[in-house]
Amino acid sequence: MKRFRTIAQEYLLSIRVGWFLARRQIMRSSKGTTALIIFIMALTFLNLVVVSGLLVGLISGAAQQFQESYAGEVIVTSEQGRTYIENSPALLGFIASHPRVHTFSARYMKGVQVLGTLSDLPQKDKKINQIGIRMVGISPSAEDSVTHFSHLVMKGQPLSDGDEGYALIGANMIRKYSSFGDVDIPGLELLSDVDVGSRVRMSMSDDAGGTIQKEFIIKGIVKSKVDEISTRMFITDKEFRRLLPVNQTQIQEIAIRTDKSYAPTLVAEMKTFMGNNIARIQTSDDAIPSFLRDVETTMGVLGNALSSIALVVASITIFIVIFINAVTRRKFIGIMKGIGISPVAIQFSYVIQAFFYGIIGSGIGLVVTFGFLKPYFAANPINFPFSDGILVATFSGAMVRIGILLVVTLIAGYVPAKLIVRKNTLDSILGR
Amino acid sequence: MIKATHIVRSFGEGDLAVTVLKGISLFIDSGEFVAIIGPSGAGKSTLMYQLSLLDEPSSGEVELDGVKTSGLSQAEKTSFRLQELGYVFQDYALLPDLTAVENIALPMLMQGMRKQDALVKAQKALLRIDMGEKANSLPSQLSGGQQQRVSIARAIAHEPHIVFADEPTANLDSENGQRVMESFLALNKEGQTIVMVTHEAEYAKHAKRIIAMRDGLIVSDEKRA
Repeated sequence: MKRFRTIAQEYLLSIRVGWFLARRQIMRSSKGTTALIIFIMALTFLNLVVVSGLLVGLISGAAQQFQESYAGEVIVTSEQGRTYIENSPALLGFIASHPRVHTFSARYMKGVQVLGTLSDLPQKDKKINQIGIRMVGISPSAEDSVTHFSHLVMKGQPLSDGDEGYALIGANMIRKYSSFGDVDIPGLELLSDVDVGSRVRMSMSDDAGGTIQKEFIIKGIVKSKVDEISTRMFITDKEFRRLLPVNQTQIQEIAIRTDKSYAPTLVAEMKTFMGNNIARIQTSDDAIPSFLRDVETTMGVLGNALSSIALVVASITIFIVIFINAVTRRKFIGIMKGIGISPVAIQFSYVIQAFFYGIIGSGIGLVVTFGFLKPYFAANPINFPFSDGILVATFSGAMVRIGILLVVTLIAGYVPAKLIVRKNTLDSILGR
Repeated sequence: MIKATHIVRSFGEGDLAVTVLKGISLFIDSGEFVAIIGPSGAGKSTLMYQLSLLDEPSSGEVELDGVKTSGLSQAEKTSFRLQELGYVFQDYALLPDLTAVENIALPMLMQGMRKQDALVKAQKALLRIDMGEKANSLPSQLSGGQQQRVSIARAIAHEPHIVFADEPTANLDSENGQRVMESFLALNKEGQTIVMVTHEAEYAKHAKRIIAMRDGLIVSDEKRA
């Protein structure tokens, strides 16, 4: 015990002397060199956090948009093979009266055909300007409160609750606005010559085997990187109910806004409430297509691989810096050992220097990440074909990476210091 | 007290081996001021390195203040040098990142003294050599003579039993060399044991005992009044 205490005291003394030496070496070293090393460490930190954060953010951006523009925190849809959510009125009542539900939007849906050219009869050798599309009946005000739907109108005007004979159509269904409008993809049908103000004819079958037709004026074009928005046609729910013999029992989607942390509880409560009635009730995270999750995982792995390379580069940088520093000061290291300064104290002085470079570089990286880059990418997302990429970086995650970076830095500082300090004292003093 | 018994120091192996010290024995008592002189290649610096634990003899024993040093580990030797010995090197050997006062305080910090106490004591040591106003100067801001005096202050501030000086005047002009010798004389007057290696007879004559070496052997050992 006494021996342990003595060793601990010696180490504490060595740390104190190491700190004394390191502080003065940093203070009196070349400011330019110190700034360069810190700059490299800051870049390394950014490489660790930002590169992987952006890669994951490309997919997280898609997930975020899926939630904000379409699903809310909880989405209820009809089960596969079913045309609507069973016992919808009771479920709507439950949702409307739930104290933790902020707002919600119920949607009706039906597959329809839309004819884009009404004035001319189609020529024999020309395809009819017609597409199959999912028509959605929404309450514009309720939908806006859930998904800010009106903000997604890229051209024209949003729907109003009292609109009749007007429709919004997804940009991906119109050749002029679709990302695939300039290529011919077999099976992909797009409307030509349709824009805001155009008249289109919708036709659909009713339950009795007949056909229902109605003409709509395109009031606006909606565009989102969420396919569920950009590939649909929207009319008001009142008009939808007038067209089809449906009522509130035949709702097909309900998007609900609640606190994100409460979403799983709400899902469980709704499942309990629904009992044997069949519907698919999911949090938006669970409802995201699985391929997006797979891509997110892959991006995460890729980001970690790049981060590992950055760590290796950082450790080599610190190793070289400390090694060159120690080699050029070998004579002085010998003198220090000669006058009785313990090798451990000298090694600590270099480890503390490496720690200083690491902590200041990481600190600057942290400020740049959370003070500038994260807000910047939130305000100016990267325009990716299927998402608006954001920077995914959590403070706790950044702290873990700082921890890893510092451990690597300390090792990279200690090893070269040890290599030089252990050389023969007299040889070091005499430069042999 | 220094007691060296049949010190041999060889470099290289086999046919290429060169023996620099050829079985030197000597005794230096506490409070002595000894100058080791001799021509270049006589082995005087090599002898000092053995006596001051900076090097290990190929054979023989060095005893310092009653401690047989051949049995000490490197860490124990480092600690022994810190507690018992002081060094003045030919090229001053001040640490370039530390000011004069910090250079002097460093060994005392390693001894466990509080930083403030060490700096105060270092400041006093500087005042003793008339360099109080240069306390916060970096070595690069001092002349050669000033650096050597700071080096002497560093060697004695932590109150070692023995001070070793290796050619302390070699890089100095005669005026500064004289001031260094005066510092040594003053220290010795206070009872400090000093072992100085020099090839300059005019400085050696200040010592109370002169050991002359040639070809790795002591050729004369003369005490002066």
